[in-house]
Amino acid sequence: MSGLKRRVSEVNDLKTDGPNINKKALLEHIENDESEDRLALESEDNNNSNDDSEDDAEEEENKSTTTTTGSKGQSSGTAAQDIHIIRETAELFKSNIFKLQIDELLQQVKLKDSHILKVEKFLHMLHDLIHEVPEWEPKTIAEAESFFKGKVVRIPFVDPKPDPSSTNYKVDYKTPMISLVGSFALKAGIYQPHGSAIDVLLTMPEELFEKKDFLNFRCLHKRSVYLAYFTHHLNILFKRNKMDEFLQLEYSYFNNDTLLPILKISCKPQDSHISDYNFYKTKFSINLIIGFPYQIFDSKKLLPNRNCIRVASNEPNQSLPATPLYNFSILSSTTYETYLKYLHRAKKQTESFVQATTLGRLWLQQRGFSSKIAHSGTLGGFGTFEFAILMAALLNGGGNNGNKILLHGFSSYQLFKGVIKYLATMDLCNDGHLQFHSDNQSSSKYVEEGFQIPTLFDKTTKVNILSKMSVSSYEILKKSAQQTLTMLNDVVRDQFANVFLTNISRMDNFRYDICYDVVLPNGGKTKPEELTNSTFGPTERIKFITLENFLVNKIANVLKFALGDRIHFVDVELVGKRDTFPISKRKANSGTGNLLNFDLIRVKLLVNPSESEKLVTRGPKHSEEPTPEAVHFKNFWGSKSSLRRFKDGSITHCCVWSTSSTEPVISSIVNFALHKHLSEGTRILNDRTKQLQSFLPLPNLPASSKTSVLNLNSFYNLKRSFDDLYRIIFEMSLPLSVKSILPVGQAFRYTSLCHPVPFAYSNPDFFQEVVLEFETSPKWPDEITSLEKAKTAFLLKIDEQLQANHGDNYKSFFTRDESIPYNLDVILLNVLTPEGYGFKFRVLTERDEILYLRAISNAKKDLVPELEKTYMKFTSKYVASVRHARTLETLSHSIPFFSPVVRLFKRWLDAHLLLDHLNEELVELIALKPFVESSPYSVPGSVENGFLKVLKFLSQWNWKEEPLILDLVKPDEELESGSTDEDPKSTEKMNLGQFKGIQANFQNLRKTDPNGMHVQFFVASKIDPSGILYSSGIPLPIATRLTALSKVAVNLLQTHGFNKQTIDLLFTPALKDYDFVVHLKSPSPLKISSGILDSSEFKNLANDKLLNSFPSDTSSLSRKMDPTYQLVKYLNMKYKNSVIFFSHRYMAVNGGEKGDRNVITGLIKPFFKKPQKFRVNMDYNSKPIDEQTVELNRDAIFHEIAAFCSELLVKFDTD
Amino acid sequence: MVAKGESVHSMKNGFLVVPFRLPVTRFLPGDESKHHYMFVKKHQSKVQEEQSCLFVVNIPLLTGLETLKSAFNKIFAQYDTVSHIEDLLYHDEFGLREVDLSRLTSDLLSTGTPEETRFTPRNTALLKFVDEASVNNCLSALRKYSQSDKSKSIEWEYTSPSVSALLDFYKPLPKDYLKEDIAEHMSIFEQREQQAQEDVQSSLVDEDGFTLVVGKNTKSLNSIRKKVLNKNPLSKHESKVLPPSAVDKKAKQDFYRFQIRERKKREINQLLVKFKEDQERIKVMKAKKKFNPYT
Repeated sequence: MSGLKRRVSEVNDLKTDGPNINKKALLEHIENDESEDRLALESEDNNNSNDDSEDDAEEEENKSTTTTTGSKGQSSGTAAQDIHIIRETAELFKSNIFKLQIDELLQQVKLKDSHILKVEKFLHMLHDLIHEVPEWEPKTIAEAESFFKGKVVRIPFVDPKPDPSSTNYKVDYKTPMISLVGSFALKAGIYQPHGSAIDVLLTMPEELFEKKDFLNFRCLHKRSVYLAYFTHHLNILFKRNKMDEFLQLEYSYFNNDTLLPILKISCKPQDSHISDYNFYKTKFSINLIIGFPYQIFDSKKLLPNRNCIRVASNEPNQSLPATPLYNFSILSSTTYETYLKYLHRAKKQTESFVQATTLGRLWLQQRGFSSKIAHSGTLGGFGTFEFAILMAALLNGGGNNGNKILLHGFSSYQLFKGVIKYLATMDLCNDGHLQFHSDNQSSSKYVEEGFQIPTLFDKTTKVNILSKMSVSSYEILKKSAQQTLTMLNDVVRDQFANVFLTNISRMDNFRYDICYDVVLPNGGKTKPEELTNSTFGPTERIKFITLENFLVNKIANVLKFALGDRIHFVDVELVGKRDTFPISKRKANSGTGNLLNFDLIRVKLLVNPSESEKLVTRGPKHSEEPTPEAVHFKNFWGSKSSLRRFKDGSITHCCVWSTSSTEPVISSIVNFALHKHLSEGTRILNDRTKQLQSFLPLPNLPASSKTSVLNLNSFYNLKRSFDDLYRIIFEMSLPLSVKSILPVGQAFRYTSLCHPVPFAYSNPDFFQEVVLEFETSPKWPDEITSLEKAKTAFLLKIDEQLQANHGDNYKSFFTRDESIPYNLDVILLNVLTPEGYGFKFRVLTERDEILYLRAISNAKKDLVPELEKTYMKFTSKYVASVRHARTLETLSHSIPFFSPVVRLFKRWLDAHLLLDHLNEELVELIALKPFVESSPYSVPGSVENGFLKVLKFLSQWNWKEEPLILDLVKPDEELESGSTDEDPKSTEKMNLGQFKGIQANFQNLRKTDPNGMHVQFFVASKIDPSGILYSSGIPLPIATRLTALSKVAVNLLQTHGFNKQTIDLLFTPALKDYDFVVHLKSPSPLKISSGILDSSEFKNLANDKLLNSFPSDTSSLSRKMDPTYQLVKYLNMKYKNSVIFFSHRYMAVNGGEKGDRNVITGLIKPFFKKPQKFRVNMDYNSKPIDEQTVELNRDAIFHEIAAFCSELLVKFDTD
Repeated sequence: MVAKGESVHSMKNGFLVVPFRLPVTRFLPGDESKHHYMFVKKHQSKVQEEQSCLFVVNIPLLTGLETLKSAFNKIFAQYDTVSHIEDLLYHDEFGLREVDLSRLTSDLLSTGTPEETRFTPRNTALLKFVDEASVNNCLSALRKYSQSDKSKSIEWEYTSPSVSALLDFYKPLPKDYLKEDIAEHMSIFEQREQQAQEDVQSSLVDEDGFTLVVGKNTKSLNSIRKKVLNKNPLSKHESKVLPPSAVDKKAKQDFYRFQIRERKKREINQLLVKFKEDQERIKVMKAKKKFNPYT
């Protein structure tokens, strides 16, 4: 450890030309002083607190951590000591397990010592080489340019390039001061798979500058020439030392800031004679940053609100706009060392500083944040450096009165959480800002004055550390911090992986709800003039420096205004941006033929589901005198803007949009706004939303193609119809009065695959289930058949009265119900309402459950599993369904996108022939997971995002080891004030005890069934802690197939993108995987009678086909039903033991154009693919091999299936 | 393997192998050599109803008595025997009767017929003949048939359900039939219940002259519930926690010093155990490479 320290400090010392030893001693002395200071500070802190005894203990504990963690290796410690540590970590960290996890994580990302040594060796050599670069004499720009003529290296001038004829200042090269900056210098670097960069600062000597050089790019041009001259000689020196074989020199923009070209050194692999200096394997690269001397310019003149680029203005009296980006770029070039020192001090004072920085770095990385400038796209402006500075500032204050937010004795977790909490709860943009002093002269303070830009202001250097952040990136950062704070406060679940391990920025479509690719009229070659609807003039240029920055800002602002509260956040990314370029080029896009440094612009939105589909964008109120807001609104929307009178009598400027079944309103707004404000020729591409949403079956209802996916009117109509029927039944006088009528059908909770369409009785979900309960009576028969008969008698009574009093409106009939295995006497009352809906009633009595349980206790052992299944079926149909329906109905109201997502998920399952094997409730609970347990992502705000997350969850769910425990409450809305500590409303949330209880259930289950042979999916919630109610009895191959299919799907999307082609593939069943495939065709097509509209059909044609009545004879309903369903049901019963059959449940949806096709596929269980000993009870169609053994008689089975399918059979494929 | 299979005429445990040629259909590659195999053996039983029976294994799909009769008659004709089939017993192709819920919930409705208590394994049935001679004739014919050349085997005729038969499953039940059926059933049930009640009351007069007035299944719901609740498969995996008894509730937990000491000790031990568990968990997670932030 100490060896390392010395080495880094040595590199630190390189900047001084004086003897090293003195400096080192001095440094050590300072360090010691500081540590004393720190101790003093700590005791002060402790004294400040009230409770003395507690503090003593704490202090003691603090000491013991340091000592015991240090000496743990030698003596494993006594139990007493252990207990001490354990107790203390529970306080210092979230929990013991959390601390252990953090320890492991930090261990995992540690840099290899050998790598550090290797690269340090190179750095030493580099240091010597830099000193060999010869100095230069002052030259004019023209002279400098001619110097580089014919040489490899070009001068990386920033735009606009200086005009040699009119510039009269001189450029020069003198030996720089060299120092190591950045996290490598702080020893806070971590292992990164793509390698990390080491920042080496070369400070240009003071004598090269004049006082006014900060104006008009002057110092920047000087630096460009300086960098080019340096590069040129370094290149020669490398060649001379034969190091050009493996070293690679490139220009790059530091933090993507085009004003800040740097030189990047990286290594290539060598085949033979690997040089000692080749650090290719360490994956490091070295950034040579050219800095300006500290305080060389008057920092007041470079404040964000000052103008430092003078341009000719047409109006003489007009003041020039501020140039914040330019000012920051110059000012921050002078302060690298200042902040290194500042952070170094913080590190010395705070033991866990580096660890907390590492946690911060990981947290930021997983969320895609970096130090890169956000003004040219992506989530930038807040990387590890900014995190560390904020943490250091908070260690020195940060409260309203300068009170300390973080203490030096905090653990890494406490520091990290403190920073996150600060980010989450304090506003550094609109309402206030944080100021600090990098010279530690006085404490940091939160000032309640917002500059409308993210501000973390250093009073000493006058630098706003957050200058590189855009408002958008700040908003997303704040939101991320809030989400993380909620996770850190979660005492129920282990959120460690969600905070630190999951990379949520890997695929945009998982993280954002909707993405659009915006292609400018001429792609990357677009000139500013071609953006006909926006101006990029001199004022814009000095403000934004580049057209890219201008575009990013413009698009973000236009979309924010246009979409308003329809979205939470917008992020703009420039796709195809190059950040490095050869030293033979002047800038990144020269030579590519592109005017712009990108190919296309990706707009990424996080949607606010409750507002996203509203039809009207309301603007300011109308008044006689047009207000500035009204003028802006009218100008912004142009012809789209209109005046409307609303119900409350107000007249308001507004825009009216129209909804569509395939595209969100947001799409049309984005289209309109970008065309209007960039250029008509702009293309906005998104081929996935429409494609995916068109997989949701379109109901045959008026204007259904113009109905939003969030529109639930068809469901409400069904509910209204039910309410009428409900009233009628409740008012009946029966021998036992009706206690409750509980709707449990899927349509009541908005999750049925097809919308309820009146008179569409071919739809398998047409008859919605209702559970009827009468008041309690001791007279219910104590025998199951008789009990069912008695229930039927009651239903007959209801039917009688219904026919007598409402017979002209309501039709009713009875059917047998087969949903409870072995109970063949369940009869349901089916009612057709005049509005065109159907309901089926089943009766629940208080005796049912007991009878089913008694059957279990009376049964022989080998029958018990079957009877348990029967019991569970009963419970899920009659009892749990009520709770499930109610909970999901309520949830659906607060999660608008759940309904379309679960319906699309069902469609996907049915396309893959799996839906029939899974309980609808199970499917719904799985689909609910990304909504109620969304972390680390946000709650899905689009169909595509929700659906993708469902697939992603399924693909990652290791159900053998992990239960799915859902808290079926409304997901947390945005934290208003960030007060996440124990709020009272969380009472309905699952508490730790309940969670642990469910977990224990899962562990007990896995003890008896470790490999999930019987129950794979453990899905529990407060309303079903058993976790097996809906998932027992699923054949293992179905479960594994579901997992495999989702894995393939996610993989497909990740490798081939999320587009039209992949979406089509996603919904194509892989029939080749099965042992045989039987193609069926039903004589009567079911699509129309199921109420499904073909999206390709003409609208006026479809209207003619609207269904408007039931057949007069209820027995003829059966003619338009699905015969294949019965077929498959009986096949599954017949071959239960040896073959699993699959088919589409919704023939109208998946059965081709007319809805008359279906397939039956089968998998022969692996056990039966090899010969077996002949036994009487073996239950499968077999043929003899010899006198003792038989094997499965495939041919005979196929013939049987063919005979069974008979008239429906079209094609029979066997492998 | 097929050739080998061809030569098997009977299984070691005495079952005759009875092949039937599969019919040619245009959907499946047709071939003379494909057969369905039934396994037949004489049924030995003491039960009166099951005399003169053959035990038949692997009956083809949707086979009723008539289908089986006609197929067997063809064999009989081939070998000039006479044999009369009477009935097909216990044939439950789709496993609908595997579990008799009614009997498991109450014995009130038991009819006492063997159908109710007796069934054969899936995919098997008993073929009943009118007399012993018929059985023997049949067996000898089958024996000859099974040993004969496969080319002479009889083609099986499958019964296929029509589409309308499948659609009939969706048909409403006639209300009149339902009413009648219920009325009939309920009257039988009430009669039996009455009977049972009387039986119980009349028979259970104990030595002291007290009469038991309730039957075993007519207790209050709650008491029954308690008895069967432990059979609930949903709570099978729940860890049982005993509620504290009245005595425990009243007793003070922190009265004696030793109690406090013990409690502290317990807490510390719990803490330690938990910590050890956590460490183990971390080890397991580490082994599974759960700490890589870059996956």
